[in-house]
Amino acid sequence: MEYILEAKGITKTFPGVVALDNVNFNLKKGEVHALLGENGAGKSTLIKIISGVYKADKGTILYMGKTVSFNSPTEAMKAGIATIHQELNLFEDLTVAENIAVGNVESFLLSKRKLINITDKLLKNLNFNIHANSTVRNLNTSEKQLVSIAKALFLNSNVIIMDEPTATITEHEAKILFNIINDLKKKGISIIFISHRLEEVFEIADRVTVLRDGKFVGTTDVGHTSEQELISMMVGRKISEMYPKYNVPKKKEIFSVHDLNVGRIVKNVSFSLKEGEIFGIAGLVGSGKSEIALGIYGYIPSKWKQLKVGDKVISKIKSPDQALQEGIAMVPEDRKTMGLVLELDVMKNITLQNVKEVEKGGIINWKKADDIAREEIGKYSIKVSSVKQKVKTLSGGNQQKAVLAKVLRRVPKVVFMVEPTRGIDVGAKVDVYKIVNNLANNGIGVVFISSELPEIVRLCDRVLVMHRGRPMGILEGNEITQENILKLATGVDVE
Amino acid sequence: MNWRTILRKMREYPAIVGFVGIVIFFALLSDRFFTLSNFLIILRQVSIQAIIAFGMTIVIISGGIDLSVGSTLALSAVILADFLKSGSIFTAVFMALLVGAAMGAANGLIIAKGKIQPFIVTLATMAIGRSLTLVYTQGMPITGFPQSFRFIGRGDVAGIPVPIIIMLSLFALMWFVLNNTKLGLYSYAIGGNEIAAKLSGVKVDRYKIIIYMISGVFSAVSGIILTARLNSAQPTFGYGYELDAIAAVVLGGASLTGGKGHILGTLFGALIMGTLNNGLNILNVSPFYQQAVKGIIILIAVLLEREN
Ligand SMILES: Nc1ncnc2c1ncn2[C@@H]1O[C@H](COP(=O)(O)OP(=O)(O)OP(=O)(O)O)[C@@H](O)[C@H]1O
Ligand SMILES: [Mg+2]
Repeated sequence: MEYILEAKGITKTFPGVVALDNVNFNLKKGEVHALLGENGAGKSTLIKIISGVYKADKGTILYMGKTVSFNSPTEAMKAGIATIHQELNLFEDLTVAENIAVGNVESFLLSKRKLINITDKLLKNLNFNIHANSTVRNLNTSEKQLVSIAKALFLNSNVIIMDEPTATITEHEAKILFNIINDLKKKGISIIFISHRLEEVFEIADRVTVLRDGKFVGTTDVGHTSEQELISMMVGRKISEMYPKYNVPKKKEIFSVHDLNVGRIVKNVSFSLKEGEIFGIAGLVGSGKSEIALGIYGYIPSKWKQLKVGDKVISKIKSPDQALQEGIAMVPEDRKTMGLVLELDVMKNITLQNVKEVEKGGIINWKKADDIAREEIGKYSIKVSSVKQKVKTLSGGNQQKAVLAKVLRRVPKVVFMVEPTRGIDVGAKVDVYKIVNNLANNGIGVVFISSELPEIVRLCDRVLVMHRGRPMGILEGNEITQENILKLATGVDVE
Repeated sequence: MNWRTILRKMREYPAIVGFVGIVIFFALLSDRFFTLSNFLIILRQVSIQAIIAFGMTIVIISGGIDLSVGSTLALSAVILADFLKSGSIFTAVFMALLVGAAMGAANGLIIAKGKIQPFIVTLATMAIGRSLTLVYTQGMPITGFPQSFRFIGRGDVAGIPVPIIIMLSLFALMWFVLNNTKLGLYSYAIGGNEIAAKLSGVKVDRYKIIIYMISGVFSAVSGIILTARLNSAQPTFGYGYELDAIAAVVLGGASLTGGKGHILGTLFGALIMGTLNNGLNILNVSPFYQQAVKGIIILIAVLLEREN
């Protein structure tokens, strides 16, 4: 038996789209097999079929040599296939331990104390800095991602599927995850790994399969290919510059904040933006970098000595609505809980933040809203079957593009972009970087907050590094290197 | 339209399918049921419930619930009656609507600013409202109003009873509000994802207050019609109406977690409830069984919708 898992001729259609068209995929024992493709290529759909969430329209799946067809994720899990889905499905009001136990622990008699002990041990073994008895609601996005990973690792599975596990965690935590993956490999466990970060694929994967528009493009050994080749397999064309940078910083200051304090986390942060500049904020999980944006945007209570947008001094921002009126916009960190109303369609989500443009006396002109939605869908190449498609059914990356579209439609004076490229594909990332450059050159202040160090390093003119809510310094020019950022982010000074 | 799209539409509006099914059922069992005059009776009986359910629809879409509708109806009815005794119809109706709006505003304000669950807030205002009504009337009904006022409940225009006309106008109004206005879009957004709505710049607190005010005013309208029909305002008006209204909205396809629902569904949800009452009475089914039948219908409807 060469393959532990084999998917043959898988086809799956949704109303209006062929998500998978006669796709083949196979997995060897003890290998890490990366699955690549643009947003909406069908990666998540494929793994959902393997793990029993969806049924394929056509095709067969062989698992350990036998044809299988799981009726539910639980069935797949019992058979030894664990999945970390792209959308986190945790119970917000339960504790970390309880979340990990649900579906994993059969015994109803397990005491709470014992459960917490077991989970704490697991988390410690994994090197995850999370407490077993904290409530999931109080965790941030990346901590929730770590909980999902821990949940999948709780059982001894033969196959572990990871759909963009690194999208919401920092480099530091990704390193920990890769160590875990290497250990699993040694134990003969096979892993399907989805990511939009090619460097990760080269670091961790043995083989790679590329999908494009629901079609199988090819499978190769990672050792026999290059980033360039993978990109052209994915996109169907070459991308010459991954990190375009052509913004022109000027002297004029267009935004500044002094002594910002947000909630109980962020203390004494000051920085300013110059016209045409791309200003980065970096830091590990829990460093308070996204809270800076939420505080200034009026979502979390915050205080400052002075805040200036252009020449205007603003003493307090009480709500996002007020922030928007002052010309401050924010691309929120988590598209599903903060960015979108999942039950509404793409057009309504874009309209929601741009109602002013289409309403008169409270009445909405839907014809106009429809035109605007089409324009934005075109501008960001959002893959939809119609403007009336519910955002819930868009692929993860296309949801992210919808968030960018709705926030940037009304041109702000300053925009805080929190993890704006999270989960979007290579081609779209380049598009976002271009958008960032253009925004800066058009005189809009860009604060680029990201956990992806390569993009921070390549894109930003200056970078503020945070550590446990405190500013550790602002790096400039040649000082901006991954090493220096990591040093500051872990609390070590840079000479 | 091929049969597939028809099937899909049917699943989208299960209340219409259910209504048609129930009508056919009763029509087969009794020849007194399927007549124009009986339909007008059903519609007129339904109008009071339906109007409350229209207000409840926008509340539930926005992720809330309003248990105080019955008490609001009663309180505005007795205030209306009191003013009818001493002043003009216009003032009395205005005061009744004002009471409805004030009850709604109080609900919305406490829910939005106090960040307390709507269920609990409106449970409390339901009790308070009822108590105020009893104190105000000393538990006695107020009766005897001018003929011109009773027209609202008993009159007709071109053969169509006035309550039905009012109900259909409010239906059209709410249809327009939910589908074509900022308020409608915001209601779906707040119910679907309040955080995202807020981060998109929606003044969530303000819109919640407006939404509960609509529910309050619609309850008051029902109170006015009921008073005019019975030529009497009673402090016990509206007991249990909140449950019928919620049932109509849920039958209509809304979800109590918010973000989903539509007014056409609610209209047919209310019609189902009304038709059941009427049909079961015509068939002489003991009232002891009638509640159970309604309950079973609600469960079936919700089970069917779960599929979507
Ligand atoms: N439940 C659904 N209903 C309708 N269309 C769907 C549904 N699920 C997925 N799709 C569509 O199928 C296509 C493939 O989606 P999928 O989620 O598999 O993409 P993906 O490769 O995982 O993309 P990403 O990198 O953005 O996560 C997309 O066009 C998406 O809109
Ligand atoms: Mg995906």
